[in-house]
Amino acid sequence: MCAIAGILFKRSEKSNIKMTTGRALTEMLDGTLHRGPDSAGWALYKDAEEDRIRLRFLIGENGEARNDIEKIKAELQRLRGEIVEEETLGCSYGVKVLYRGDVQQFSHELGKNTQLVSLGSRLEIIKDVGQPYDLAPKYRIHEFDGDHGLAHVRLATESGVHPDTSHPFWACGFADVATVHNGQLTNYWIMRRRLERKGMAFQTENDTELIAVYLAYQMSQGATLEDALKTSLDELDGTFSYLVATRDSIGYAKDKLAAKPMVKYEDDELIAISSEEVGLNRLFPGRALDTTEPPPFTYGLWSREA
Amino acid sequence: MVTIDLSTMPIRRANEVIRGYGSTHQNVEILNPDARHYIGVGLINPITVWVRGSAGYYCGGLTDGPNFVVEKNVSWGVGDNMFRGSIVVGGNAGAIAGEGLRGGEIVVKGNLGSRAGQVMKKGTLCCAGNANFMAGYMMYGGRLIILGNSGPRVGEDMMGGEIYVGGDVESLGNDAMVADPASTEIDSVMEFLDSYGIPFKGAFKKIVCAGKQLRYSTPEPRIRNKPFFTFSGGEADYWNPKVQEDIQVKSIIGRYRIRGYGASRHVPHFSDLAFKKDVTRAGGDPGVVSKVNLRTFIGDKHGGRALDLSMPVMVAPMSFGALSPPMKTALGIASRLSGISENSGEGGMLSAERAEARQMIAQCLAGRLGWNVHDMKRADGLEIYISQGAKPGLGGQLMAEKLTKEIAEVRGIPAGMDLRSPSRHPDILGGDDLIMKVQEFREAVGWRLPISIKLGAGRIRDDIKIALKDGLDFVELDGMQGGTGAAGSEVLEYVGIPTISAIIEALDGLDEIGAKGQLPVVLMGGVKNGVDAVKALCLGATAVGLGTSMLIAGGCIACMQCSVGSCPVGLATQDPDHVRRLDTEKRALMIHRYLEAIRWQIASLTSELGYTDVRQLSRDDLVALTPEAAALTRLPYRPEYREEIRNALNEQGAMEP
Repeated sequence: MCAIAGILFKRSEKSNIKMTTGRALTEMLDGTLHRGPDSAGWALYKDAEEDRIRLRFLIGENGEARNDIEKIKAELQRLRGEIVEEETLGCSYGVKVLYRGDVQQFSHELGKNTQLVSLGSRLEIIKDVGQPYDLAPKYRIHEFDGDHGLAHVRLATESGVHPDTSHPFWACGFADVATVHNGQLTNYWIMRRRLERKGMAFQTENDTELIAVYLAYQMSQGATLEDALKTSLDELDGTFSYLVATRDSIGYAKDKLAAKPMVKYEDDELIAISSEEVGLNRLFPGRALDTTEPPPFTYGLWSREA
Repeated sequence: MVTIDLSTMPIRRANEVIRGYGSTHQNVEILNPDARHYIGVGLINPITVWVRGSAGYYCGGLTDGPNFVVEKNVSWGVGDNMFRGSIVVGGNAGAIAGEGLRGGEIVVKGNLGSRAGQVMKKGTLCCAGNANFMAGYMMYGGRLIILGNSGPRVGEDMMGGEIYVGGDVESLGNDAMVADPASTEIDSVMEFLDSYGIPFKGAFKKIVCAGKQLRYSTPEPRIRNKPFFTFSGGEADYWNPKVQEDIQVKSIIGRYRIRGYGASRHVPHFSDLAFKKDVTRAGGDPGVVSKVNLRTFIGDKHGGRALDLSMPVMVAPMSFGALSPPMKTALGIASRLSGISENSGEGGMLSAERAEARQMIAQCLAGRLGWNVHDMKRADGLEIYISQGAKPGLGGQLMAEKLTKEIAEVRGIPAGMDLRSPSRHPDILGGDDLIMKVQEFREAVGWRLPISIKLGAGRIRDDIKIALKDGLDFVELDGMQGGTGAAGSEVLEYVGIPTISAIIEALDGLDEIGAKGQLPVVLMGGVKNGVDAVKALCLGATAVGLGTSMLIAGGCIACMQCSVGSCPVGLATQDPDHVRRLDTEKRALMIHRYLEAIRWQIASLTSELGYTDVRQLSRDDLVALTPEAAALTRLPYRPEYREEIRNALNEQGAMEP
């Protein structure tokens, strides 16, 4: 019950569309809002800085925020992450820390006592209950003008709508890997237990998080992102069209029945992906676009040109 | 030609405007479509609509007569269920193009997405480029022309019609085979291509149904004239005569057995609940019906015109196909006489029934059998069937003996096969799809009608949350005791949850998301009489649905052999000799009288419980008589009530219920 969106600019020039990357993602989401009116989220890939890691946490709002932030700061101090910059917006607390140790260990520890939502040299995940047009100014999404990002809107049917069940999901323990997903995995628990036995951790029971962890795990064992996407087609069961982003690429995979839609548009400057063409049209209003829908049981990958 | 600009006009208004122009025979031009959804849905005038750009989902869906010209692409479901007319797409089409096509012509100059022509029945779907995964999936008839490559599994599970492939056939689908096209067929295809100015040089391969899976291979032997009645089978749990017969029959046919009705073993039910208050004196007041407010409105949650029920009872959906025409007509008459609503069930709307019933819901199932925009417009409610209590997760089933030419024609399919309807809608594979389908239906009828959903219980706790979020107006909830015309007997007995459990799960589900009371639930599945109905209302249902009890009132002898097609009463058969036995008027009056008895029971019990309105009934009025029923309903367990009931009845010299 969702819509996915992704965009990657191949080069630094951006003459074909006149909006920031953040705004482009927001527009695509609003175009497909009917598929997911409850919550929204963005995975934005900002500039990397040497030795700095970007972290995003979910905190309570208003009164609880202070306590949550204090707890996070205490944890960071305990784990020897030195805060270099911080920002509080809505239910999101973002920090840049100086840290040179083992990132996986660091994030596992952090995730135990805080609601760590993303970790990476470039990745920042921001998600909340509400609709894209309302959330974007609250979280200054439109200020982001990096080269790639993912976004998602969600229709929630389980009890309560919480920010932590929104997408995108970060692959717990692996820097910079984020996923958004439309569909439903039917072998979630089997896959989860398999990964837990290999030492992977999960923060929610959401199947999108599993996709992120699964792909990240494959890559940690030496597979390329492309390999990981390919094996996911066989190993994941259910309906899915998902997007995964890393430091410098965006990939997709589509289940064998093509049960969930996914349309893409590509020109010399960018590649944009949306659940429906009406989302892509938001980038080029008034134009009829040359779009393609990947066939079932396929995967693909795009990276920024060097 | 008039112009509509979708960048400034919302689609709902645009469609009304288009319909207006349609009725005055003016052609329409759509500017800035920007891949928006539902363009032209519900249009039934033969005008031309130019779409200057790309269209989104269901462009030209549920139409009869117009010609659409789309300059660029269309998304999923173009021409959904189109009856007549044409659609020309300059670019590519997304998935399920031409799904459920009932006639007319769709031409896609580019490529087709997956499952093109799924469950199409008539007409022509043509693609100048390549098709994709499972082109022609489950098609019943009509013609699919692919000038390029077919893609994998072309013709999967097709049951009729032809597929012509000009390029490569990547792989054949299940039960599809290559056949030699006749020269007349090729001439017809070339003529079609000419008429649309599409050049083609080359040869066509023709793909048709191989026919190996249309009928069950071995018919079931009739071991006795009338098999075991409901709830029979000997005292022992195993190796009793019923179990022995089952094994013996299966040793002959080597497959599952098929029968009608629902679960025939005891599961916790309304009879395991009792009223807390002593109601043995109910029924003493002959004028009680006028003293209790029974009238129930249902279905106006999103602004459609509510169904107006004189009592909280509806006739449950039962298909024309499972039932004979006079029986459907009798149900229509009875529902009108008793001031309640009726339901088409699967397979299309019988006109005689529509004429007799005052309120009739049209039900849409996965095979889109008989589904069309005209029946939608003359219905009083639309219902999306996801599943039913007898066989949650499966589609309808109609054996060949009952699939007559007339029924096949109404349904739009070839006659004479053991019809198994698909278990999934082509375009509803999740909550996000369902929302869009509900919107499409609303557009087709100008937002006039209630839209309900039929759910077999099932994972009802999850499903009802989706139903609420997806904008349905009410839920028809069916427990495992609910009946059917034909299904595998193991599924009937062992798949699903009891009716009293279903209502609890449904209400708990709504409660969990803070939506208590926001979605009315009509409960059905073994509701025998007004006593059961009142208990259902106490548990929290807004109304009840009656299926099997209506048939028994109409003369059914409960032999459970509905699937065989030789119903001795003439109500669950299409055999003219048997059908002749059914006197429509007589049966209608019998059903009507039973409904009136139910009205009287509901009023009497409600009054005896101390109320003047059925909405005042609540869980506080009930207790559970068995530990299972107590666990399922969370009602207080009061076994002593059984003693009291028995004593009270003994005093009156009556029989135990």
